[in-house]
Amino acid sequence: MNILVVMIPLSILLLVGAGIAFFWAVDHDQFDDMETPGLLPLLDNPDPPAADSPADEPPSDAPPQ
Amino acid sequence: MNAQATGCWHCGEPLPANDVPHALVAGVKHPVCCHGCRAAAEWIDQLGLGDFYRLRTAASARAPDPEAAQRSAQAWQRPELARHVVRELPAGRREALLLIDGIRCSACVWLIERSLGTVAGIESVQVNASAQRARIVWNPESTALPTILQALARTGYSALPLDARALDDARRQESRVALKRLAVAGFGAMQAMMYASALYLGGDGRMDAATHALMRWFGLLVATPVVFYSAQPFFAGAWRALRTRTLGMDVPVAAAVALTYSASLFEAVRGGGEVYFDSVSMFVFFLLAGRYLEMRARHRAGNLADALARLTPAFADRYRSDGTLERVAAPELVCGDRVHIAEGMLVPADGTLETSFCQVDEALLSGESTPLHKHFGNALIGGSMVVDGPAIMRVTRVGADTALAGIAALVARAQSERPRLARAGERAAGVFVAGVLTLAAICAVGWSMVDPARAFPATLAVLVVSCPCAFALAVPAAITRALSVLAARGVFVVRTDAIENLALASHAVFDKTGTLTQASLDLAHIDATDGISALALAAALARGSRHPIAQALVRAAMNAPALTATEVRSVSGNGLEGCVDGRQLRLGRPAFALGTAHSDDADDAVILVDENGVIATFHLTERLRDGASEAITALCASGMHVEIVSGDAATKVSATATRLGLARWRARQSPADKLERLRELRSGGARVVAIGDGINDAPVLAGADVAIALASGTELAQAAGDVILDGNHLAALGDARAIACETMRVLRQNQHWAIAYNLLAIPLAALGFVPAWLAAAGMSASSLFVVLNSLRIGRSKPPATMVVPIATDLRTCP
Repeated sequence: MNILVVMIPLSILLLVGAGIAFFWAVDHDQFDDMETPGLLPLLDNPDPPAADSPADEPPSDAPPQ
Repeated sequence: MNAQATGCWHCGEPLPANDVPHALVAGVKHPVCCHGCRAAAEWIDQLGLGDFYRLRTAASARAPDPEAAQRSAQAWQRPELARHVVRELPAGRREALLLIDGIRCSACVWLIERSLGTVAGIESVQVNASAQRARIVWNPESTALPTILQALARTGYSALPLDARALDDARRQESRVALKRLAVAGFGAMQAMMYASALYLGGDGRMDAATHALMRWFGLLVATPVVFYSAQPFFAGAWRALRTRTLGMDVPVAAAVALTYSASLFEAVRGGGEVYFDSVSMFVFFLLAGRYLEMRARHRAGNLADALARLTPAFADRYRSDGTLERVAAPELVCGDRVHIAEGMLVPADGTLETSFCQVDEALLSGESTPLHKHFGNALIGGSMVVDGPAIMRVTRVGADTALAGIAALVARAQSERPRLARAGERAAGVFVAGVLTLAAICAVGWSMVDPARAFPATLAVLVVSCPCAFALAVPAAITRALSVLAARGVFVVRTDAIENLALASHAVFDKTGTLTQASLDLAHIDATDGISALALAAALARGSRHPIAQALVRAAMNAPALTATEVRSVSGNGLEGCVDGRQLRLGRPAFALGTAHSDDADDAVILVDENGVIATFHLTERLRDGASEAITALCASGMHVEIVSGDAATKVSATATRLGLARWRARQSPADKLERLRELRSGGARVVAIGDGINDAPVLAGADVAIALASGTELAQAAGDVILDGNHLAALGDARAIACETMRVLRQNQHWAIAYNLLAIPLAALGFVPAWLAAAGMSASSLFVVLNSLRIGRSKPPATMVVPIATDLRTCP
């Protein structure tokens, strides 16, 4: 059972690490909006327009069905 | 999708009859309702963001008029205005927080981020859909605030810069701290549970004493941050309550946490007996989870400051002394200024009309459903809308003296004066904790006289066996379950004691305009020899008009033969005239159609005439909101007294009351009158639910025992609401009442169970008969029972109406 003396502190270290990572994430806006960012990748446009001449860009997607 | 043919491609609103503009999107022409929508749709397509229309799950808001948007955006160029809303960041960058109107779904966030990404000089855009805010950082050398606002307007969103102080968002801070506390409690509870199960399983001598001690110390290690960090709000709340000499829910919770922790700490240090670090962490975690849900709902409901920012226009067009116009910020106005108000714009402050005539829509402020006619010298109220302009106004009251600010102050006062009914759970828990402490004291004194050596373990056993877990969970478990069940039905509970009050309420007070009825009208009946053909003629004239009466006629004429009108001319504020099949027709108020000097009557009737005289009279009524009659039937059936208190004219209120089968109604009530009526009901011992949507309802909502605001209503009403009703239907109201009653039933069962368990366990523990493992098992079983019992809430009845269909709304998802 002596291995517990190593394993439990190790698990607590991991826990502290997870806690620190979570606090960092909360402080860096990761949890401010829980709804939209998850959907954004699904909406990604495969053909991003050029930033400077948007008006010259040809229509990038097929007509909606 | 063929449904597109009936509505605007961009915003889904009805199309004008003649000269429908078309937007060329991805090479296909789509009909739109106005030039603002056309410009927005084409611009979105040109940016290569046409996917937006495929991805959105709700129709967009109507796009602002490009020219008007440009004019108001330019005003933010003025340094004295920009100073209030822009914050300087290091390295010369600037930051502003925008309140954006018209964010309807995630696709909007995507569109805003993408379209602003094409503006050179913008460094970061963060859009928060639920708060309807965007935080934007830009480089002032390559772009400016007006450019950013214009870019947003071009994609169809009107944006309003918020005060720079709002950048340090208190709500954001609150939710971050709450999340951190919840996470610490969750991590701690999981770990403590692991060490505790080792202790329970090895408790009968199979574990050597050193390992035993080790487990206890590790338990202490993980429970300490839970108690000292996560449970802080409970201690702070308890301290506040004790200082004001009251017993809130926080007092027993804090007492339970503190007692269990210190007893376990003592045992861990002493090296004997049982420790309960797992119970204390779990307990804190469950309670924090409930509070976190409550906070999320509260943030969703918005706040008073946002609401006022939206209502008051940011700008005014002030006349200089030489007669030219300058655009200034509304707060810069002073009494005596003359301002110009264009058609469709909001009145920037209170004042008197200096032009001879105009029509003003005060529906949001007074509940009056039809625009009011104002003449020279009449008072205009800030925040109301000039329907047919332009008008010139002399400012008489500004800032905190305006009627709108007065209503906001009324809301704030009513909210602070609202008597807080002690929750059933709080009272019972207070009594319970007092009882346990007394018992523990008796036990300690008793044992110290009989056998001093056993005094401490027995006293501790009383405190721990009675660990008020089941008891303190009885209320939050039931309430938390009710919150999620109600949310699935489109009812968002902002303040949890609203559930108890809703279950116990005896009276319901409804607002009429906007709550029971909608802005649009319905055709009630036609006085004519040939109603159908008369309707067809009227609809032909009305098709091009946006007026609610015209739209009601067009809707009613769906099945009538379609005719085409030519030379249609709208006579502002009076009616329409035009030519159908060679007949010269006039449609409108009697005074206009007959050409007589008729007085203005309030009756909602229009007549259709040709050269030979009157063809038909159309009587209109207000359109009831979907589910209004179901909701009222359900509330009456559950034993509530329902009445209407409205600011509108008596004839209209009584007509609505008759249609809904209600005998009690009051008309022409000002916000203060409504509040007075509420006090009257409450002084008679009633618990009152108020349901409303408008600014004029906000004080009533704030003063009621339970305030229910409609999500489609004004921000101010929502800020005053305890419960927000999502969607366009009222039917969920009956459900909400039923679930609230069920919740109270389950809550009582939970409490009775917890009391019964404790009545059995505490005497046994006091006499020293309960071994530790049995105490732990009993504690867990009773908590489990409470949680499982709470899960029954809402199982018996499936949701009457489904809300928020994600990505399946075919009408708006072309």
